[in-house]
Amino acid sequence: MIGLAALIVAGPLAGTVTAAFGARGSRAGWAGAAGAVVSLVAAVWLLTGQLHRPPLEAIGGFLYVDSLGCFFLFTVTTVTLLAAVGSIGYLSAEEEAGRLSSFQVRLYYIFFGLFASLMLASLETGNLGLLFVLIEASTLASAALVGLEGKAGSLEAAWKYVIISSLGVTIALAGTLFLFYSASALHLAPDLRLTWPYLFAHAHALVPASLRLAFLLAVVGYGTKVGLAPMHTWLPDAHAEAPSPASAMLSAALLNTGMYAIIRFLAIARAGLGDSFPRVVLLVFGFLSVTIGVLFMVRRGNFKRLFAYSSVEHMGIIAVALGFGGVLGLYGALLHTLNHAIAKAVLFLSSGDVALRYRTREAAGVSGVLTAVPLTGAVLLLGSFAVLGSPPFGLFLSEFTIVRAGFANASPVLPLFLLGLLAVAFIAFARTTAGMATGEPAGPAAAAAASPYASRLLTLTAAVPVVVGLTAVLVLGVWIPAGLDTVLRHSMAVLL
Amino acid sequence: MQSLSATSVAGVLLDLSGVLILLLAFACLASKLFNRYVAYYGAQSVVLSFAAGVAAYAFRSPELWILAIATLAIKGIAIPVAARRLLIRRLELKRDAALSTGLSTSLIAGGALTAFAYLVTRPQLLPHGVVAAAVVPLSTAVILLGALAMVVRRHTVAQLIGWLIVENGVFLGAITLVATFPFIVEAGIFLDLVAGVLIMVVFVSGLTRELASASAGDLRELQG
Repeated sequence: MIGLAALIVAGPLAGTVTAAFGARGSRAGWAGAAGAVVSLVAAVWLLTGQLHRPPLEAIGGFLYVDSLGCFFLFTVTTVTLLAAVGSIGYLSAEEEAGRLSSFQVRLYYIFFGLFASLMLASLETGNLGLLFVLIEASTLASAALVGLEGKAGSLEAAWKYVIISSLGVTIALAGTLFLFYSASALHLAPDLRLTWPYLFAHAHALVPASLRLAFLLAVVGYGTKVGLAPMHTWLPDAHAEAPSPASAMLSAALLNTGMYAIIRFLAIARAGLGDSFPRVVLLVFGFLSVTIGVLFMVRRGNFKRLFAYSSVEHMGIIAVALGFGGVLGLYGALLHTLNHAIAKAVLFLSSGDVALRYRTREAAGVSGVLTAVPLTGAVLLLGSFAVLGSPPFGLFLSEFTIVRAGFANASPVLPLFLLGLLAVAFIAFARTTAGMATGEPAGPAAAAAASPYASRLLTLTAAVPVVVGLTAVLVLGVWIPAGLDTVLRHSMAVLL
Repeated sequence: MQSLSATSVAGVLLDLSGVLILLLAFACLASKLFNRYVAYYGAQSVVLSFAAGVAAYAFRSPELWILAIATLAIKGIAIPVAARRLLIRRLELKRDAALSTGLSTSLIAGGALTAFAYLVTRPQLLPHGVVAAAVVPLSTAVILLGALAMVVRRHTVAQLIGWLIVENGVFLGAITLVATFPFIVEAGIFLDLVAGVLIMVVFVSGLTRELASASAGDLRELQG
């Protein structure tokens, strides 16, 4: 089992190693994709193997994988696989067009693998200090991806990203310190005083004042990574400037990793402080994020920014769901995490295809994708509906569960307010993407039908992940496999 | 829980270092020259490593000794020297003109934040008579001042220094509050810090070069 856990982390490094030893870009890309397959298979194996067993624990709690960790590992490895396959086509098309040098492409694969591997490692540790270290390290690895294109805009976005995220995560470190301090009454060895299962088991014995501060600082700090408003300001810039598969990784994997850290603190805070304080904190940040995300989606402009604000909105929804709490709220939050991750990865990957063909990231410059490139157009349109939570896609089901949790556990005003915001989001978002997909391809768009990919195989690497992802979200909307249901219930049981 | 009493020699020394670190953060907030930013940051780090040494002596912890030496070597010497060589001299930075408020305003705001730090951390959190009760509000204030410096200044180098001051504040809190923090974690934090500084230096110089070459390109276009 420990071998499996190591394999999950080591998988994505295949691309890093190949690129670092000087292989050509596309070869490193294939190696990375193969590594991602290994990771995903190992994650599923671990998930099924761990289901009815006590959590995997080794090296004094530095390695700790329970059902919740397994679930997040599964989500992140899935996204990594989608993005790794999508990277091959996108990067080689960019290199072909001369917008990226072969050195930059190799750099991309080096940091892509490192980024994925560090995130996966952070999901496998039970030590909250090490969690901080790994999350901060993943920030640094992904900053290189954001600034990859080396233009003034992307460098500025990368700078903003790395400085805001580092500050945020430093605040989370202060929170971790206070949590450690709050455990000083317990007679545990220092290593164990930062180990999640022990803290969770002794949560009632933690010093409440210090625990309260720790939780608040952790939500603010890791919330910066999650993109909770008002700490979200790096997010739209970074997502807009990064290469599209990297944006998919940021939005669908990195934000979830931050949320995972918050969930760990939340479980301790709930057990130690009771329900009301964590609930208020999460509801405030959650609703603020949904509101801000929705308001900024109304503006038309760069479509990758639009998707980024939609991520702010969805992370807000997950925070709200965690705030509502109870079985329904937690179930909804986890299901929504998975659904949003896949759907958003699909959207960002298809936006990469659009950007390659139309040579622009502005929504106003894109029209008639459906006519010019039927597959991408259809994915863009259906993917938007999926992200907006319309039936029959999976996000409808999870948002529905969350709203039900709101009616069950909170005053009815809150879920109604959430529904209102979702309606506005629907109009704002669909207006832009529908405008992009429909209409006549005009101007430079006429050339868009010409494939930017050099070979049929590369075209396939662009098409397969989006189609598979979209199908998965569709399936999750009509049918939750019994296995997934069991996994979600086991993950929730960890927190209750 | 090992904790130092406020009246022991080590406690007094730690308290004193905390005050010095806060004053140096204020000094940094009050200056306008890039050279001074770096100098104050370096001095702050040296005091911090002294504090870590005091804690190491008091707790008889070899890990803390390693940390104290690493702090002195990396934060006190390597980072300031590198910042001077790679950023300030190469980019010819002298006066920082990109302040969004006046110095007096930011000092007043800094004073208010310090008061706020005492308000938040002193009464409920810590038992009386422990040195942490005196130092934790100080370190919280240093964190807030660093963050304030990042908000008030728009130049990338100044923001980088602000982040490093925040980091120092967290570290000061760490050595007095929880001297028994797992060593592997502290080492990881240190590595992250170094990597972070490296990456940021790359971005700062890249950004400056990109902007400079962009404006130079504009000039050439206008010649013809």
